[in-house]
Order: sequence, then structure tokens, then C-alpha cells
Amino acid sequence: MKVAFVTPRYGPQVMGGAETAARQLAEHLVSETEWEAEAYSTCALDPHTWADELEPGDSEINGVPVHRYTSAHGRLPDFYGLDGRLRLAPRLATLDQGRRWVDYNGPVSPQLVDAVCGSDADVIAFYPYLYHPTVAAIGRVKVPAVLHPAAHDEPALYLPVFRGTFGDADAFCFHTAAERLLVERTYPVAERPQIVLGLGVGESAGAGRPGVEVADLGERPYIVSVGRVDEHKGSKMLASYFATYKERHPGPLALVLVGPVSFDLDPHPDIVVTGIVSEADKWDIVCDALVAVSPSALESFSLVVLEAWVDRVPVIVNGTCGPTREHCERSGGGLWFTSYPEFEAVVDRLMSDGALRTTLGARGRAYVDRFYQWPVLIARYAEFLASVVARGRGTPGLFSSF
Amino acid sequence: MAASEPEEVSTQDPGAYVAQVMAEIEEEVRLRRASGDLPPKLERELDELFLAHSPVAGRGGDLTEALRMVDAATFIDPVVPVDSQRAAGAFVKKGMRSLLLWYLGWITHQISQFASAVSRALHIVDGRLKDLERKVEVQRVPHAGVVEFPVAHDPAAWWVTPAIGALTEVRGRILHAASGDGWLVRQINQAGGDAYGVDPRPDVVERGLLGISDLRGEDLADHLRATSSAGLGGIVLSGMVDGMGSGQREQLFNLIATRLAPGGTLVIHSVTLPTWEAPDAPYETDLSPGRPLRAETWRHVLKQSGYEATVQSGPDGADYLVTAVRATMSPPEPTLTQ
Repeated sequence: MKVAFVTPRYGPQVMGGAETAARQLAEHLVSETEWEAEAYSTCALDPHTWADELEPGDSEINGVPVHRYTSAHGRLPDFYGLDGRLRLAPRLATLDQGRRWVDYNGPVSPQLVDAVCGSDADVIAFYPYLYHPTVAAIGRVKVPAVLHPAAHDEPALYLPVFRGTFGDADAFCFHTAAERLLVERTYPVAERPQIVLGLGVGESAGAGRPGVEVADLGERPYIVSVGRVDEHKGSKMLASYFATYKERHPGPLALVLVGPVSFDLDPHPDIVVTGIVSEADKWDIVCDALVAVSPSALESFSLVVLEAWVDRVPVIVNGTCGPTREHCERSGGGLWFTSYPEFEAVVDRLMSDGALRTTLGARGRAYVDRFYQWPVLIARYAEFLASVVARGRGTPGLFSSF
Repeated sequence: MAASEPEEVSTQDPGAYVAQVMAEIEEEVRLRRASGDLPPKLERELDELFLAHSPVAGRGGDLTEALRMVDAATFIDPVVPVDSQRAAGAFVKKGMRSLLLWYLGWITHQISQFASAVSRALHIVDGRLKDLERKVEVQRVPHAGVVEFPVAHDPAAWWVTPAIGALTEVRGRILHAASGDGWLVRQINQAGGDAYGVDPRPDVVERGLLGISDLRGEDLADHLRATSSAGLGGIVLSGMVDGMGSGQREQLFNLIATRLAPGGTLVIHSVTLPTWEAPDAPYETDLSPGRPLRAETWRHVLKQSGYEATVQSGPDGADYLVTAVRATMSPPEPTLTQ
């Protein structure tokens, strides 16, 4: 049997969570099961512009055939104004406003939508819910459609235009139970077949260099945050919280931010920004950190939290982020904060209690071993896809009028 | 990848463990706040940074937390910052501030007074709400949990075969609650049905998660509210309704009435009152707000609600099975409105 993945971006150059997840699932399905997989996408790499950067046509990436199509347009300048207005009261937006929001957000590729609808796959996996290819095609495909929403608690989720997108899905695949509950609270789709899957995590892939050496920290102890250094990801908040913490608790502790930087961060003697580093360097830095922090409130899974646990590093997460908090509560591998005083108390406690750090790290590792090993995970996904194919397609376009 | 874990890792519930640590941290935060350790203005600025990119539903937290933020924002500072990147900028800004301070101070004083009055009113409301909550708490009917009798809730129990038989002709998905680790879901699926399970006990669901795809650890009523109208072909209730109070039972059956498709089948397994009151019954029976209905009562109630119900008693009178088919009518239009 064959599954076709539909994502707005696809390829190893793409760092976004949802698109990386789609590629990893496709590649593991092909290499570890009897399933065939292919991917349909645009030529875009940049999620802010959706400009065509890659060549259209057919290619193959790690055993997965990829079909790319150019876009009629990427993100339009009018998007930001419309988004600013609609995000204040998204539930009150009209269907027409919602359609315009999706259209302006891009990428709009009629060729891609037509190709998906003409695919000979047995099941189509759409990833994520938010963009035009999913919204436009999910009501039109003739074979069963699985939606991987990758939903956050964001204003767009409540736009009425997405009722059709969720309504026309035959089945759902969620990263976490928190994501599933969020979707079910928003759209009445709870009786549809679904699976809470997540993503697999590999073994620690460091080169064995001390983390302090890689991050150029001398002998200083440090906490680490891996991921895009971006205001929306909570990096600015984390930097301010940490700077305040250091004012109130002077000492050698440093914060290391690892990842591409997308805003101007004020220099601080206790905050090291590495920028993009190699995978080996990233793992080495994480491995020797006292704690890993995920400050983002808008995660639908967070691989970096699980990767920290691979190295038995305890984590601190944003307490308003359902998925990362769920990881901590289910595993017992991390703590959370919802204000500066909580952040300060959590850091204080973890810095002063080595036994707690060890216990949290070990619990996190046990959680990863149980639920997020690729062979276990991909076998569940393959079984789920087969059950979706066996059930067949509902009425295409019953809800969607895009 | 065997993890070498400290002893407590394998012996303590992970959720309870971090909940305990977080409770200690919350107490520490409460003490630090009470000591006035962190200047309110600084805390307000840091709060704003946190809230700027918080989830839609997460903003503000509970009422007490929201009130803390209101209090922190009550004072409006008329003394405008005068820092500037240009040499003369700070001087000019300082001059303008001096000129305007008498006017801005007058305005901001009134706004601060208004905000303080609103804050005081909200604190009074908060206090009265807490008082009401305390009074209601002692009159609250506890939510019934799952009560499983080992002999009755087992794949080999007498009622499993007739229950599955009643579901063979069902069109659409079949929901089993409380599904436990999915033991009945598996049997229904093996018999050709399309079943999934819901159970409010997350630890029990967790045990079955890796073996079967579609088990949900959530409250049954919450789950039904999240399903579409007439979206279910069959519903099996076992270990769920026996100990329910009348209010909870009525709420559940109102939900079932809108979520079970016309022509759909409702299957209820319940123990009888003597079994419920037997000395060896599970301890949950003592803690439940209600007690099992008689089989005939179910038949009567379901008939009044438009179901065609039949009752089968267990071999030794310890339990019974109710099978009810919802009356057929014109199928409703599909809707995605809750």
C-alpha cells in the first residue's frame, strides 16, 4: 500500500517541526515497513514568504519520491493586516474572511492540489492543518485522508474556515494527547479514528567533546535551550528571565542558546548564543547541560525536550504549553513555570538538588525508551494507516467548501 | 537502551512525583511573593514578556493569577523613561517630561484610582466566589468513578458474547467505556466491528496504548461532547453507570441521546444491587454517589426515551445486560457545530 504526504515544504533543508515530522515518517515507513510513501509539496523553503526556491518536478529524497510544484503566490503583503484583525476574535470571522486568510497566508499552488487529488496512493496524509494545500485538497481527495494537524492553541485554529478541514478528515494523527484534546475542544471530531503518535528519537549523537568546550564556556556550569532563537519561541522571555535570575543570584551559571537566531538579542555576559551548530556539537552541548529549557508556549510536540531526555538531562518547560507539559507530567522528567517567580524557584531547586536532576533525567529517558523509539512508533503508524484504508473514505467535501 | 534508573524511578508514579515537586515549588513561590522579594513593577514587566506569546486559552490562568496581574498593572507611572540613543535625545525628553508631568500626573492619578477601585471590586467578587465554592463543596455530589468487578469485567464474562452479537449489524463506530486496556475493543474489532475506547483512568489506558491504536484517557461525558451529532453507531457502557448519581446519569444519557445515531445500539452492563453491596465488592462501591438500577428500571427509562430495550440476566443473578436500539428517524444533516 502507498501513502502520500502533503506538506507546504519538504526536504532535509527544512527545519520546521511539522515538515520534518512528515519527512521522518515517510522515510521510516519506506525503510522499515512494506509501505510505499511519496511526498507532494511546493518549491518553497521559507515559511515567511513561500517563495519558490527549489526546482519543480520529481526527485527522490532518502528513498521517498518527491513531487514539487510551483506556487501561484506565496504569502501576500495583505496577510499581516488581515491576520492582525482576525486574531482578535477569530471565532467571529466569516467564512469568506477565513478563506482569504488561508489564501493570503499561502503557499497557493493549484497544480499541487490537482496532483494530490490525482495521486494513486491508498491514503493521503496532510500535514499540518494550517496551510492552503491541506485546506484546499482535503475535501477533494477520493481516498481516505489522514490529518496530522500539528495544532497549537493559536488564534487561527478557531477560524471557521478550518471546520471544513477538520470535518473532511477521515482520521487524525496527533503528536500528543494535549493536541488531541485541543482539537476535540474546538471541533467535534472525537469519534473519528485517531492515534497519538509523536515522533521517534535516535541515540545521542555527540562527538564526545565536553559541552563547555563546544560552547566556549571555560569551566562554567550551564543550562541550555535548543531551537530557533525567536521571540515567538519564547527566547526573548527566557533571556530576560535568566538575566533577572543572574542579577538576583550572582554566580558562574550560564545560559546557552543553540539554534538559528531571528531577532536581536541584547548581549549579556552570562548568555551565550551559538547560532547554528553541527548535530554533533548540539548533542555535546546538551549532554553536559545541567538542565534543558523549552520556553516556547506554542509547541505541538518538541523533539528537543525528548532529545534532552535521551542524555538524561532534566527539562524545564513553559507551563502553558500543553504538549511539553504533558511530556513532563507523563514522564516525570521535567518541571514547568508560568511566571518569573516560578522560573526562579524551579531553577533554584534544580541547581541545588543534584538527586532531583538525576531522577528527572532518568524518568525522561525511560519515557523516551517506552514511547518514542522508531521501530515501535512506525509499526503503530503503519497499522493505523492500514486501518484507515480498510475503513475507506467518508463523503469527500461534505464539510469543506474551500 | 536500558536505562539505569535510581530506585525511586521505578517505584513512584511519574505524574504524582512531579506534582509533588511542583507543589513544593508553588509553596516556595507563595512565600517569596509574600515577602515582597520581587518588585511588583519588575514582575509585571516579566509577566508581560511571558504572556506575549502564550496560548489563547492559557492567558491569565485562574482568577487569582489574573487578579495578581490586575494589581500589578494598577499603578500607572507618569514618569516617562528618558533614555535615548542620541546625545541630545535624553535632554529633550527630560525637558518634555518636566513640562508635561503636572498634566500627565493628574490624568494618571485618576486612572490609577479607577483601576484600584476596579481591583478592589474584583477582589470582593473573588472573595465571595471562594466563599461560595467552599459552601458548595460540602454539598457537591462526587463524580462516580469506574467500578470494575473482576469476574464481570473480563474477556470471558458471560455478557461479552451477547453484547458483541448485538453490535454486529451496527453502522458506524462503536465506543466502549470504560475501556480499560482495550480488552473489549479488541474483541469487537476481531468480530468485524469498528470500536474504540474511552476510560477516565489515564494510568489504565497507558498500559494498553502501545498494543492498540485508538484508546483515549478522558472523561466519558467530555468525550461525548466532543463527538459530532449522531456520530456513533454503538455505545457500550460497562463499569460506568452502576455507581452514578442521578444527575450524572441523566447528563450522560442526554448526551448519548444526541450522539448515538438513530438505529444505533446502546449496550449497558451493570451488576445487581446484592453484588454491589456484597462484602467482597470493590472499595469503589462505598465511595460512589449512587447504586445500580434494577434491570427493569433501565428497560422502563430507555423505553420512555425512545429505545427498544431488552434485558438479559447473568447466570447467577449477579449482573445483567441491557441492549437498546434507538428509534430510527430521518438522519440529521451532518453538522460540525458543537
